[in-house]
Amino acid sequence: MSFAALCLALAIAQSQDSTRHIAIDERLAADAHLHLGDRVSLSATPGESGSVATIGAIVRRSADPAEIARGEYKVRLHLTQLQDLLGYGDRVDRFAVATTSEQVIGSAAERINSAAFGFRAHRSRDIAVQTSATFAVVSRFHRAIGVITIAASAIFLLCIMLLKVDERRRDVAALRLMGISARTIVRGVVLEAAGIAVFGSVVGVGVGLATSWLVNLHYQGVYRTPLRFSIVTTDIMLGAVALSLVLGIVAGWLAARRLVHTPPLALFGR
Amino acid sequence: MLFTLAAASLIRHRARTVLAILGVSVSAAMLLDMVMLSSGMRVSFGSLLTSQGYQLRLAPKGTLPFDTEATIKDGDAMVSQLLARPEVVAVSPVFGGQLYILTAHGVIASSALGVIPAVEADYELSSGRQPATANEMVANDALLAATGASLGDTVHVGSGFDSQLRTLTGERTLRIVGRARFIYMAREQKGAALPIETLRAMQGRDADGRVSLAMVRLVPGQDIESERAALERLFPRVTVISIAEALKQVDERRSYFTQLAVILGAVSLVVGFLLVTTLVTVSVNERIGEIAVMRAIGVHRWRIVAQIVLEASAMMLVASPVGLVLGLVTARYLNSILANFPGMPERIDFFYFQPSAAWTSLGLLALSGVLAGIYPSWRSASLPIAITLRQEAVG
Amino acid sequence: MSAMLEVRALVREYPMGDERVAALRGVTFDVDDGDYAAIVGPSGCGKSTLLNLLGVIDRPTSGTVAIGGERVDQLSDGRATEFRLRRIGFVFQRFYLMQALSARENIELPLAEAGLGKVARRDRARALLDYVGLGAREGHRPSQLSGGEQQRVAIARALANSPKIVLADEPTGELDARTGAEMIALFERLNADGTTIVVVTHDEDLARAARRMIHMRDGVIVGDERAR
Repeated sequence: MSFAALCLALAIAQSQDSTRHIAIDERLAADAHLHLGDRVSLSATPGESGSVATIGAIVRRSADPAEIARGEYKVRLHLTQLQDLLGYGDRVDRFAVATTSEQVIGSAAERINSAAFGFRAHRSRDIAVQTSATFAVVSRFHRAIGVITIAASAIFLLCIMLLKVDERRRDVAALRLMGISARTIVRGVVLEAAGIAVFGSVVGVGVGLATSWLVNLHYQGVYRTPLRFSIVTTDIMLGAVALSLVLGIVAGWLAARRLVHTPPLALFGR
Repeated sequence: MLFTLAAASLIRHRARTVLAILGVSVSAAMLLDMVMLSSGMRVSFGSLLTSQGYQLRLAPKGTLPFDTEATIKDGDAMVSQLLARPEVVAVSPVFGGQLYILTAHGVIASSALGVIPAVEADYELSSGRQPATANEMVANDALLAATGASLGDTVHVGSGFDSQLRTLTGERTLRIVGRARFIYMAREQKGAALPIETLRAMQGRDADGRVSLAMVRLVPGQDIESERAALERLFPRVTVISIAEALKQVDERRSYFTQLAVILGAVSLVVGFLLVTTLVTVSVNERIGEIAVMRAIGVHRWRIVAQIVLEASAMMLVASPVGLVLGLVTARYLNSILANFPGMPERIDFFYFQPSAAWTSLGLLALSGVLAGIYPSWRSASLPIAITLRQEAVG
Repeated sequence: MSAMLEVRALVREYPMGDERVAALRGVTFDVDDGDYAAIVGPSGCGKSTLLNLLGVIDRPTSGTVAIGGERVDQLSDGRATEFRLRRIGFVFQRFYLMQALSARENIELPLAEAGLGKVARRDRARALLDYVGLGAREGHRPSQLSGGEQQRVAIARALANSPKIVLADEPTGELDARTGAEMIALFERLNADGTTIVVVTHDEDLARAARRMIHMRDGVIVGDERAR
């Protein structure tokens, strides 16, 4: 099978065919109202009459990030069918070679390249790196946005924690007047701040999972792809909780230190 | 007085205010970036399309220009018909293909555009001149660098390359007379332009009269949409695309970024709003007694609301310029990442700064600042004065 | 002499759980224009509740209050605010000055609210500071002033819009004896200059300085005597 841009015109099925079968993607089937067994006319040039083929399969698009924003349809034909249509003779754009084991890929490619005339062998992995360049760019973009978002969240969290601890000024003043040591108070406040941070981040992870589900639901519908756009991994969840915990402890410690260094009566506003 | 009280309140809790301003700045930066992203590519692409003054583009049916290798048969006849129309001022046909150049290090493949130099709208000359004869061409920096050629050099080129025989087909010797920047080509893409007849001749008889795209400039004041419809009726095998239509198709392709921008922009705004609301609420709660006294001595409720809204807005306004600068820096960085999209025209910006983007961000921030201040201040200004005073006295 | 303050059958009840507790149970009295009345009584007898109702910062459950002939017991929030601004001067036990503002700016606050221009309110604030003996302290913040000085600024603030009546809630409560005596003298001077004053106090010296002493117990007036 091979791919090419083709013009496809719907021909009314008249009789049982001796035509060749093609596969089309489900997006094309839905948009052009095509069904299995329908006969279509294929040509390489718009408006020109081409050869008639029967739709033998409707295939689901792969979860390829490089394709999500592309609106083209895909038609799969037998190699010789497409070569005939394009007037390619027996030319091919590329072909794949399976090796007996992974270890011999390098030596096989070398042997082919030393003997080949007019083409080069590449490792599939190298090709994959090149073809996923779009995805790599999007991934880098998302990472950069993620860093900015984390910075904003960190500041927000720090601010909230400071406020939360500041709310306890009267309690802290009362404890100090009762003779509780500054160290014990700082420890207590930090513990409370850490508890709030962990609880908040766990709730946040829940919100994140729900949002991720909604994002996937939405974009899978928009782009008609099984690709998952958002995945909340264990690493991400642990990272979020750990970051919140660290920020909670830092904010709690900073605020508690300030409170215990302020005279208790001043904390009471006297 | 109102300003003094608002400023005093902000200064009273310096650490809190600084953190809030920092938080809002990052939110503002993100918001600006997302406003720029939501419209950037569209505006950037739109300015590219309009810069050359051609309002309509004719491409093979069902494709975007150069989306596939499809061409319009009898393109020359179509161009003649177009030029015969009183509504049309100029037509620029383009025929696309490949150019292979033999160098000491091997064969270099480049995109090639066959154009009529006098009316072309695909590139800008940075030095040299337009091709004046059939055996002249212009090239971009990427091609010149790859071949090691300079202006005035002649190069041996072909329109095809037989990889088995390692020979060029459709050979010509062309002289490079200009250095060009191709508007729609990617940064790293090698490109050349030569007279349309030369490229067609190199490709053989099949290419006779074919064009990949024709750009049409209309008489000033002409209704573009009606002319578009008329041309589509006249040439049923051709798609006629107006700039608006092209932008619509671009919109579809960039919808992911638009939606991402809307979601992240909204999140930034909500985070900024929540931050300021939280701070203002806490600040107001700390000053309940003071507010009750002000109410007792006859200060109107709306003036207390105004003071607190002023505080919230001041935080937003101090944070905004910082955020805008931060936003421009991050936009530049993010744009440099997205510029690496394979095949992305060099002159397309995902983050396109327009003063309106800054004003929109500033306006949204100011609005959220005002909204953030209204609720807590109105609530506190509406508390029963006598009870609040008594509680404050006890507290 | 005409009545500056007319209070009739004033009742104020507060909900407390399922029950209602009466802080005032039918209070009736008048205060003449230019008079100086002290309301005294044990804690919880309803003095402060009464003062709040006279000051239009609370509404009675029933009964009426008129100040300068105008009913004020059912004013809307906006009109009550306006009334407090222009007709009533408040002095609180804990001064309640704006810490961020200087002494002069604290006095200018109600003047600005009343729409007075910058120069006019500055002149007025300075004149009032001179009147209370703090002409040299206009730029000082409350934290830089003693308790007595803060209370003087609070009195000057209460006088800012030339109110018909000044209401004071334990104005000497936070002051030492010497400063308290200075405050009493200031109130006497204020009254001598024509300001009607109603003061709620536990301070016997302050109460004795008033021309009239109204005794309260359990939400009702139990005695009303002219001091001299």
